[in-house]
Amino acid sequence: MEDKIIALIEAVLLVPAGIITKDTRMEDVEEWDSLAHVMLIGELEAKLNISIPLTEAVDITSVQEILKWALC
Amino acid sequence: MKHKIALLSNVNLSFAIRMLKREFEIYEGEGYGNELGELLNPDSSYHAFAADITFIVMDLMELIEHDLKEDGSRMDKWFGSVRAAVSRDRIYFISDACLWGAETSVLQDGDRKRVLEGMWQERLNALCREYPGVHVLPYRSVLEEMGFERAFSLKMWYMGRMLHTNDAQKELCGLITDRMQLLDRTAKKVLLLDLDHTLWGGLAGETDHTPIILSDDHDGLAFKNLQRVIAQMQSQGVLLGIVSKNNEEDALKILAEHPHMVLRPEQFAARKINWEPKHRNIQEIARELNLGTDSFVFWDDSPAERDLVKKMLPEVIVPDFPEQPEELAPAMADIYRQYFAKLKLTKEDLEKTGQYAANTKRNQLQEESTDFESYLKQLKIEIIREDVSANQERLLQLINKTNQFNLTTRRLDAVTLQQLIADKNTRVFLYRVTDCFGDNGIVAAGIVNLGGEEPVLDELVMSCRVMGRRIEYAIVEDIENALKEEGYTVLRGLYYKTARNKPVEKLYESLGYQLLSIDENKGEYRMVFSDRPKRVYYANIVYDNIESVNSKAVPNIFGKS
Repeated sequence: MEDKIIALIEAVLLVPAGIITKDTRMEDVEEWDSLAHVMLIGELEAKLNISIPLTEAVDITSVQEILKWALC
Repeated sequence: MKHKIALLSNVNLSFAIRMLKREFEIYEGEGYGNELGELLNPDSSYHAFAADITFIVMDLMELIEHDLKEDGSRMDKWFGSVRAAVSRDRIYFISDACLWGAETSVLQDGDRKRVLEGMWQERLNALCREYPGVHVLPYRSVLEEMGFERAFSLKMWYMGRMLHTNDAQKELCGLITDRMQLLDRTAKKVLLLDLDHTLWGGLAGETDHTPIILSDDHDGLAFKNLQRVIAQMQSQGVLLGIVSKNNEEDALKILAEHPHMVLRPEQFAARKINWEPKHRNIQEIARELNLGTDSFVFWDDSPAERDLVKKMLPEVIVPDFPEQPEELAPAMADIYRQYFAKLKLTKEDLEKTGQYAANTKRNQLQEESTDFESYLKQLKIEIIREDVSANQERLLQLINKTNQFNLTTRRLDAVTLQQLIADKNTRVFLYRVTDCFGDNGIVAAGIVNLGGEEPVLDELVMSCRVMGRRIEYAIVEDIENALKEEGYTVLRGLYYKTARNKPVEKLYESLGYQLLSIDENKGEYRMVFSDRPKRVYYANIVYDNIESVNSKAVPNIFGKS
């Protein structure tokens, strides 16, 4: 699941494979702007059925936090 | 064709724009919610990008600012701005109405939603009528098919003004791609159908043993529904033909009398019910309707018949036939979308079958008449000059779709045509033709350029369905007369050879024009009005419908007042 999520983040951000790790933070990747963030939350829901509630979704700033939600 | 497209909206559609970017050159805008600013400001990056097709997807709830008591004034304001911004030489698709918001689910007055959507639709339709380049984007049906639950996401809306789910934006991309394909392909004209096991189940003529399957339940209903789809297609301009191996009498009895037949004999523009090979019958129909077999689609349940037609007439489209009766109607709907659907239906499209059926009667009259001249006399042809400005869409269609009777095959876009109509050195003529069997519609046009040393008939087109009745003699003579009235004494004619316009190669010669120059691709001709020969044709020219609104000297067919 972790790999799938990371691959999906890379696909949404349009960055080459290997750029995103579980320690990546939003500010590390230029492509991860607020707009990409909305698309990412949408794709997690559409593709992997991971639904992060609004309040948490807007506060998320790292891969770690996404994984925490996905794997809980 | 490679298009540059733009997608503007009052909500965030970034996901769709990003997906479209994989396939198209697309404008990446100044965000969302500023669609009017982008359209109206000539210095906007949208204008710098110069999209040739602009898709505008509007969320109606945002547009009316959640005021469900909206009286239409916000919509008027929006359409007023759009009207000021749209350019006549570009193409636009504007979404139809789909009112959705958190509060619509508790809206008790269901009518209110329909009224608001109706108000939007009315204004959008008016804009489309006014601007041939503006089309409706049927966005609502896409969302309805997915279900609003799946199409909208309040969470994404709150997060980033993204109202549509990623799935809905994907569907929207599909719709946009689909519209662009419609824009680029030439629609087919004729659907040829087999009868047994195709329009109905079972075999005609064996009624004693097994009645045909066509009814209000089970498999019979599947065939009836298929006919309903085909009937709707027919009413939208698709010409129908029967190519079937049956005893004609048995088949006609069913067509005319079976209580569950939706399609009746008069809805078919042509029929060949006999035991001849089908490809020969298809060629025969092409001749009767005066249409190329490359505008035909043939549908038959028999793989052997389909293969033979594919082999003998590779230009005819032969779609597969479904295995199960329940797949019949959807399969036909697919055929319509893929081969026949048009962005806009003209009045001509809606009246087409009647015109072609009358054509068949004309052909019969021709066979009965002992000679061609008496046949032409009996037709009682009338040629009516039509107002150009009021019929621009049809004029554009004639100029761009006519292949056979087209002397120069110059294709024009809406804007160039508009400029020509307004140009004082140009005269545009448009003609409707009627006869004793009915109205053939607006079928011919000519454009004269007065800018040079001598007037030149730059463009002369006529629909193939009225060819062969010497109507062209009357029309060219009418154009000559109009110029003569303005004080001109000569007219030049041009013929540019194409792969398809051989039938008019000798037109100017037959009209008595003097040959100026000719090579293998091009001929130039000239007529001095004082030397005009007497031409034999049987048609009356009628001007009534335009003289009433214009002075006699410069009728408004010229597009100026």
